[in-house]
Formats: sequence, C-alpha cells, structure tokens
Amino acid sequence: MTGGNQAMLEEAFHRGAEDGSAALAKWLGRPVTLSVDRLEMLPIESAASVLGSGDEPVCGCAMGISGAVGGLLLLAADDVAALSLADTLLEQPQGSSTAWGELERSAVIETANIVGCAYLNALCAILTPENDVGILPSPPVFLRDFPATVMEAALMEQPHLGDTVLLANSEFRISGTSFRCRLVFVPDAAGLKAYAHKPADPEPRL
Amino acid sequence: MTTPAKPTTGEPIAIGQIGVAKGEGVLRTFVGSCVALVLYSKRHRAAGVAHVMLPAAEGRVGAPGKYADTAVVETLRLLADFVGDTDIGCTAKLIGGATMFSFQSGKPIGDQNVLALEAILSRCGVEIVGRICGGRHGRRVAVDVATGTVTVETTEHGSETL
Repeated sequence: MTGGNQAMLEEAFHRGAEDGSAALAKWLGRPVTLSVDRLEMLPIESAASVLGSGDEPVCGCAMGISGAVGGLLLLAADDVAALSLADTLLEQPQGSSTAWGELERSAVIETANIVGCAYLNALCAILTPENDVGILPSPPVFLRDFPATVMEAALMEQPHLGDTVLLANSEFRISGTSFRCRLVFVPDAAGLKAYAHKPADPEPRL
Repeated sequence: MTTPAKPTTGEPIAIGQIGVAKGEGVLRTFVGSCVALVLYSKRHRAAGVAHVMLPAAEGRVGAPGKYADTAVVETLRLLADFVGDTDIGCTAKLIGGATMFSFQSGKPIGDQNVLALEAILSRCGVEIVGRICGGRHGRRVAVDVATGTVTVETTEHGSETL
C-alpha cells in the first residue's frame, strides 16, 4: 500500500468514527466522546478478543457492507449499557429495561442504523468521491452473545481470511453516564487490497 | 509446522490454537462459526481441543489448529506425544459451526467446517460420539479432562452436556 493510500484510509476511518460519534450525540441529545479510534492490523486471535474475552454477554447489531469497500460493521455494548441506551431512547427511567423485548431491540437497531450510516457516509465521501458504486449497508441484525463468539463470527464473514486482519476500532462514551459502546469495522481484505493498489491522489482529500 | 501444546488449563483456547491436558482440569474455548474439535482418550484420561476456523489449509502454512484437515492430525499427534503412547484410542466430539450472521452467500462456513471435520475424522478412524453443531448462536465449551464430559453453554438457550 502506498503512503498516500494508507494516509487516506486512516483519514477515512477517523472521519467515519468522528461522524458516527456526532450522529450518536445528536440521536441521544447528549454529548458523546470518541475515546478510542484505531486502525490496526492484528493477528486473528487478538482481533477475536477486541470486544473482550469474558463470559458476560454483549449485545449489538451487525451490518454487512458491500460496494466499493465491503466488510462487516458491528456496534456492540455490554448488556447493562445497551439496556441503559434503550431506556434513554424510550424516555423511561434508567433501570426500567431489564430484558431484551421488541422495543429494546428496536432502540438498539435504530441506533446502529444511524451511527453506522454516518460512519459509512464519511468513508464513502473520502474513499469513493467519484464512484457511483458507493458503500451499501445491509439492514442491521440484532444479536446478544459472548464477546469472543460475536467477534469470531464477524471475522469469519470475511471471504479472504488470513492470519492477520485489519480492524477499525472506535469507542464512544456518553457524557454523564457509564454507557460506552464500540464500533468495529472489519473491511474485506480483497476489496481493501484492490483499493490499496489504486494510484494514490497526490494530495489526499481531507 | 507444529503447534506448541498448551498443557495448562484455564485460559480459553484461541482461534487456531490447540490445547491438551491429562489427569484433571478443564479445557475451555468459545466458538461461533468455528468448531471446537474435542478428542478424548478414556484410557489415558487425556483431552485435546482444537479451535478450528476453516475447512482446509489449502497450502497455507499458518497454525495447523486453524484448519480442519491439519487440526485433526496435529491434535492426535500432540495427544500421543503428551501421553507418551502412539495408540491413544480416542473418540471425538464436535461443537460449534453456527451461522450467527448470514450476509455471505453460499454454504455457511460453519457447516463447511463441520463437514470437513467429519470427513477427516472418519478417514483417521476416530469415532464421533457427540456433537452440538449449527444454530445461530455462539457457545462456551468446557471439557472436563478427568471424565471427558463436555459442557456447552449459550447466552440464550441454557447449557447441555455431551
């Protein structure tokens, strides 16, 4: 990958995380801090534990991504935080939601939709400014499972899985609450490789 | 290429790793669409667990525990080395192979992993005595080395033993 392309990729994922954070703040009506923002190449066994390796379940939503850059986008949080998010969105006292009913699931799915689309729009604007293929998300799929199995399944969705994997890893914290959630994008290696071999722009669009 | 055996129990066995133990203890792992290949020798009270990720190595030289075809052979070899007996006489259990997302077209990778392991175990003359495979959820797997009993837990559907 050329230096110019790498810089543009890093800028694209950074802008995606910032725009996702801003969209979450607007959606919740609260300030949101982007506390982690990394683009990193990890051995697959390390990548499988980025959501944690404990026994407590996480819940969240996954979106399959196709188009100019394919892959899988995952918004995940621990149970308590995600139920707290549902309470906020359903305008009910904190602690009201104790189990995953239809309403709570809908609240998380809608959040993933809003944050995910803001993230992908930012990627699209930087990576494919003149490409009408764009970047297209599937409808979000809700899931609640062990952190290691969620991440493992996300990795296994990639058609060209090697020993290492590129992850764009962001964490959002909502001011005044203990809520934090993680947005992880696993780009399809083949798609990214094709992108990486394009001639780099002399001046990356910032 | 060989895999370093993981003789101690406790830490979950990561993707592509193989863990072996004998006598007592618990071997643990988490699997989604990957498959936990559990080999157990009752005679030696020894267990081996491979966390299998893909059906075939196809020439790749990564850790042998990652691929069904190399994981079976390597786990058998590690177990034999560990107990010091080439005739270990073990049986197999398979856990995992779920399809947690379905964004990809074609046969799910979890199903391919299970089918590949079944074929290779049959070729190696290892009987499969239990399996909990498929579905749409991840599984926590714990192998009791003293008895060979496998406990399989999910977040939403309770636990089962094999």
